[in-house]
Amino acid sequence: MANRFGGALAARPLQFIWIADCSGSMAGKKIESLNFGIREAIQPMREVATENPNAQVLVRAIKFSDGAQWHVSQPTEIHDFKWADLTADGVTDMGKALQLAADALKTNNMPERGLPPVLVLLSDGQPTDDFNAGLKAMMDQPWGAKAVRVAIAIGDDADLDVLQQFIGHPERKPIQVTNANDLVKMIKWASTVPLKAASNPNSQPMGQSIAAGVVPIPAPPLSTLPIDPSDVF
Amino acid sequence: MSDLLQRGQVLRTKHSGQTCTVEQFLGGGGQGEVFRAMWGTMPVALKWYFSHTATPEQHAALEKLVTDHKPPTNNFLWPLDLADSDHLPGYGYVMRLREPRFRSLLDLVSGRIDPTFQTLVTAGLQLADSFYRLHADGLCYRDISFGNVFFDPQNGEILVCDNDNVTENRSSHCGILGTPDFMAPEIVRGEALPSRQTDLYSLAVLLFYIFHISHPLLGRRILSIRCWDLPARMKLFGNEPLFIFDPQDQSNSAVAESVDPTGEAGANAVNYWPIFPQILRDTFTKAFTSGLRDPDNRVMEGEWRGVLSRLRDAIFFCEHCGKENFYDLEMLKSSDSVGPCPFCQKTPRLPYRLRLGKTVVMLTHQAKLFPHHLDDHQPFDFTRPVAEVVQHPTNPNIWGLKNLTSDKWVITTADGSTKDVEPTKSVPLVSGTKVSFGRVEGEIRH
Repeated sequence: MANRFGGALAARPLQFIWIADCSGSMAGKKIESLNFGIREAIQPMREVATENPNAQVLVRAIKFSDGAQWHVSQPTEIHDFKWADLTADGVTDMGKALQLAADALKTNNMPERGLPPVLVLLSDGQPTDDFNAGLKAMMDQPWGAKAVRVAIAIGDDADLDVLQQFIGHPERKPIQVTNANDLVKMIKWASTVPLKAASNPNSQPMGQSIAAGVVPIPAPPLSTLPIDPSDVF
Repeated sequence: MSDLLQRGQVLRTKHSGQTCTVEQFLGGGGQGEVFRAMWGTMPVALKWYFSHTATPEQHAALEKLVTDHKPPTNNFLWPLDLADSDHLPGYGYVMRLREPRFRSLLDLVSGRIDPTFQTLVTAGLQLADSFYRLHADGLCYRDISFGNVFFDPQNGEILVCDNDNVTENRSSHCGILGTPDFMAPEIVRGEALPSRQTDLYSLAVLLFYIFHISHPLLGRRILSIRCWDLPARMKLFGNEPLFIFDPQDQSNSAVAESVDPTGEAGANAVNYWPIFPQILRDTFTKAFTSGLRDPDNRVMEGEWRGVLSRLRDAIFFCEHCGKENFYDLEMLKSSDSVGPCPFCQKTPRLPYRLRLGKTVVMLTHQAKLFPHHLDDHQPFDFTRPVAEVVQHPTNPNIWGLKNLTSDKWVITTADGSTKDVEPTKSVPLVSGTKVSFGRVEGEIRH
């Protein structure tokens, strides 16, 4: 018998989209680390969702190489989400990936009310298509402009300028990783900390105005483990 | 396991000089990670800070908490000692482990647990009492939110965690501004820093959440906000805060689920608000009208303690459906009726009651009196009953109030005769009987 009325706290949908580079240069160790990293991030994401009852976390994924397509097209509750491994081959059509994200973020395709979407872009190279057109399409959408955008630069060849443009926030930089361990760790960070910040901002440190940005995101922790020089990307 | 510390790593603690051995990663937060550890021979929790949060100011604040301040009550997981290592940058601190019986208030608002009203009111009362004692010690918590408070769903005992942000009131050190949904409007607007007065606002928000499973400022206005982000929070929590039950301005009123099925505009509050006594509604109204605008006009912890203590005493059970109802003296005075049970809509019969000064205790089959009932100066200790309702050993139709103290009580019956009630003996529940408990006198009514 219920002791009180049954209603739990109301939840707003939060759209989370991974945008993953599957170009040929990602083949081998990088794409496998990426797959592993995302699989590892799912449980911590579920924990974030459980700890934030006001957010209904819905996850999708876009992959890009020769063109871009949905890897997971349906917004899926994080508690039901499963990851199918990506493979890598082809060029780096990042602009098309952002175009795809822009379509998903059109007002007509989004719920009437929601939490800021979270977009996590992972790339190891330079766009081979019209990145600016894709970025503009995304930023033209109100939900695209409101989205929390995080980027992980994999290896030394990643184009930091375009990733910075994607983030669109002067104080937040692309997260640079140069080894598999950091990639896995930073995928987890990028999949959980911005998610938490977008669903229900945590304790705010001094000096952070709550008016700043869409959501406040704490800085990613620096690696404390020694870097293995043989673990070359 | 985490990257910060590894299992088996041995740290030293500053004041005790004992070693602290890391055993198991327990969880991470915004400032650091928490591990189970062995401090000498005592199992403890060890919090270790991320490098960017391990500031000298935080270290100094912890040092002060460890050396200058005792935990105000046993309900605080207080820093016991600082920990560091020659082989690692940064530092941490040790505290008691949180027992598994304690559940997060997040479990409450998510509907994962279903405590009774009595448990929730007890938790609210302990919260108010704990912050009363913290503030009386000259300290300020700075980050009251439902992530930092745990409670036992069986008895309402609370545990306040994350005490590393506690500082002396008006202290210039300040690592934390608070959690946006719980921040006082003047902090949200950037006009003030956390203080005892802003703690009072956060406490009122937390209490409102506990009793209504809703935020007190999220009503009709949120329905016109597509993206619930920081600028939107700035508007509803900082620049234009308005209580969802503001008696003067209904433009942000709570919206029933039948009108907005998402329930995010206070649908739960629409259900709960009318079932509590007027005194609770009046106190929340004060907290979120004048208290919203004027930090010096907030509901103090002592006032919350008084109100919640009376609320706890006001619980009785509907004889038709068995659910808890609240006795409302104001309503009884104005309408001469207790009103229907909010769960089954049938009219319940009131049990015997004991009038004790300002409070009226419902003498239900489970009722107990505690030290604070018989002496204002006694703490709220729900582990030491001083009286309880019992059935007559041979005639179950007769109920009584059993004396669990070591002192005798004296009763005066309606016809004026007096009689002693020795320890372990019981006063029959008969309307008109007055009971002298020593410091206070009560009257049994029906």
